[in-house]
Amino acid sequence: MPNFLQLQKISKIFNPGKETEVFGLTNINLEIAKGEFVVLSGPSGSGKTTLLNIIGGLDAPSNGEVQLDGLILTGLKEKALARERRDHIGFVFQAYNLIPVLTARENIQYIMKLQKKGGAECDARVLEVTTKLGIDTLLDKLPNQMSGGQQQRVAVARAVASRPQLILADEPTANLDSKTAEELMDMMLQLNEDEGVTVLLSSHDPLVISKAKRHIVLKDGEILKDEIVA
Amino acid sequence: MYNFICKIAWASLSRRPTRSLLVVLMIALSLWGLLFMQGLYEGMTEQMINNAIRSDSGTLTLFQKGYRSENDINKLITNEDRIAGKLKGDPRVQSFTKRIKQDGLIATAHYSRAAKIYGINLESEKTHGRLDAYLQEGEYGFGSRGKGAIVGATLARKLKVTVGKKIILSAQTTDGEVTSIALKVTGTIQTNNMQMDDFGVFIDLEAARTFLNIRQGVTQFCIILHEENQLSGLQHELENEFAALETFRWDELYPALMQSREMMGIFSYVMYLLVFCVATLGIFGVILVSVLERTREFGVMLAIGSEFLLIGKIVFFESFCLGLIGFITGSFLGAGTLYYFSVHGLDLSHFSAGLEEFGMDAVMYSIIKPDYFLTAFLAVLSATLLSIILPLRVLQKSKPIEAIQKI
Repeated sequence: MPNFLQLQKISKIFNPGKETEVFGLTNINLEIAKGEFVVLSGPSGSGKTTLLNIIGGLDAPSNGEVQLDGLILTGLKEKALARERRDHIGFVFQAYNLIPVLTARENIQYIMKLQKKGGAECDARVLEVTTKLGIDTLLDKLPNQMSGGQQQRVAVARAVASRPQLILADEPTANLDSKTAEELMDMMLQLNEDEGVTVLLSSHDPLVISKAKRHIVLKDGEILKDEIVA
Repeated sequence: MYNFICKIAWASLSRRPTRSLLVVLMIALSLWGLLFMQGLYEGMTEQMINNAIRSDSGTLTLFQKGYRSENDINKLITNEDRIAGKLKGDPRVQSFTKRIKQDGLIATAHYSRAAKIYGINLESEKTHGRLDAYLQEGEYGFGSRGKGAIVGATLARKLKVTVGKKIILSAQTTDGEVTSIALKVTGTIQTNNMQMDDFGVFIDLEAARTFLNIRQGVTQFCIILHEENQLSGLQHELENEFAALETFRWDELYPALMQSREMMGIFSYVMYLLVFCVATLGIFGVILVSVLERTREFGVMLAIGSEFLLIGKIVFFESFCLGLIGFITGSFLGAGTLYYFSVHGLDLSHFSAGLEEFGMDAVMYSIIKPDYFLTAFLAVLSATLLSIILPLRVLQKSKPIEAIQKI
């Protein structure tokens, strides 16, 4: 039975054929099972963000194939990719990237509204997720009224609320202090266990790496190490 | 989802209120100017047409065949009673009047000029075209013995005659003789119909019959209809029933006025095009900057699963809000101004001498039509749609990952 997430011979070349040609990823083969909590690490420029963007359909590989739960993502048109991202993939960005004019509640509901879910269902899900993340008192605040840690928790809530199968988090703790970062990681681990959602996050923070159940190390666009930790 | 669309769009507009307000003002002021000019110019044109209809041609005029082409006083409409009976019973007819018209000469002790002599019934003309409203000096009457004359104001000025002075009218009668009559000026009228004011001399209908040796008949029937769109129908009926007559619509007797009206239509389209361009360019500028400022925000929305159509809806709603607020503001200003000048008129008495030369009233009244606002709305709506095309194209070419990476 194929794994939940499969990457076959994924390569990414930036500026191909030009003087500034860069090999971002080289021949990446990777399989991730449903419910895994995987941390990608590596030095800057190793290809972590590039790999996450390709998995999430935000970028197209130069070669290779990405399969998510049996559906080949590579080669899909932008509209179909948007639907996949909406229904199956949740994103957590380094810079939070909340919609600044919407409240925390509205940011969290955003993807569920795209999925045309009803008001009552959205409200119930928002309450459930925000209670778990400890941000249920912030629902009516705007992003500029919250701290970095609070914003990132709202971003995690947004990513999880729509019940995606996969969460991609690119350096989610980079802009947080160590205490907040640890709290966030613990919450994400809890969500992974409670919701069964597959989590793939990138970081070069030792704290984050220490929380990994599976640790993949990238260097110069290639997988250097792939080990089960817990 | 529409709540989110509205909220995101409105937040963008209120983020830079000065910028949004400037575009709204641009649209509002250009629309205000358009509505005012259109209403005033169309009102002025309609006033000129109305003056011509009331004072001379009516909506429809009947002549005996050959009267106009040969200018022959013997070409008279003799079956007056039958025609009058037909017109009286026709619900399309608002009023009608009979006249005797002949070219002649008007002279004083020192001056003489060509004149158009009109034999009229004062009461009939008062009901028909409110000729009494044009009275400038003197009385609306021909004196106790019917030997008075009302002279066009410009003609009176050129002859240097005033009320009470004597004039001599000369003209050719039905038997080819040239005859004269002495009359006293009882009044002057200013119709702003150049033909009337420069050449018109009005005398009593019966006095005209005696003067021109006309036993029976009139030269002209003038008819005013309730609705102009009933004109063609009545014209065909009269031509069929009274084959000896020629019928002329007002625009056939005053083609220049019809051309003024048509020019007004072209002028309107040019003005709407200007408003459209102002709105398009104004909104385009604001929307382009707004979209480029929010490339990252839109990139995030696309990244987390929004389709581009949603972004398009947000941008359209912003554009539509700007256009709609500008339209409403401009319409209120325009409607208010037009209403004021439709009641009080725009007093250009200071320029009355020049305006008279062109047959225009010194006080111009504007008109208001729902069409003005409907066409303006369509122009602004088209502008809102057109102005977002390029900004959305720019945004579409910027892929989400690149947008998210923009600082």
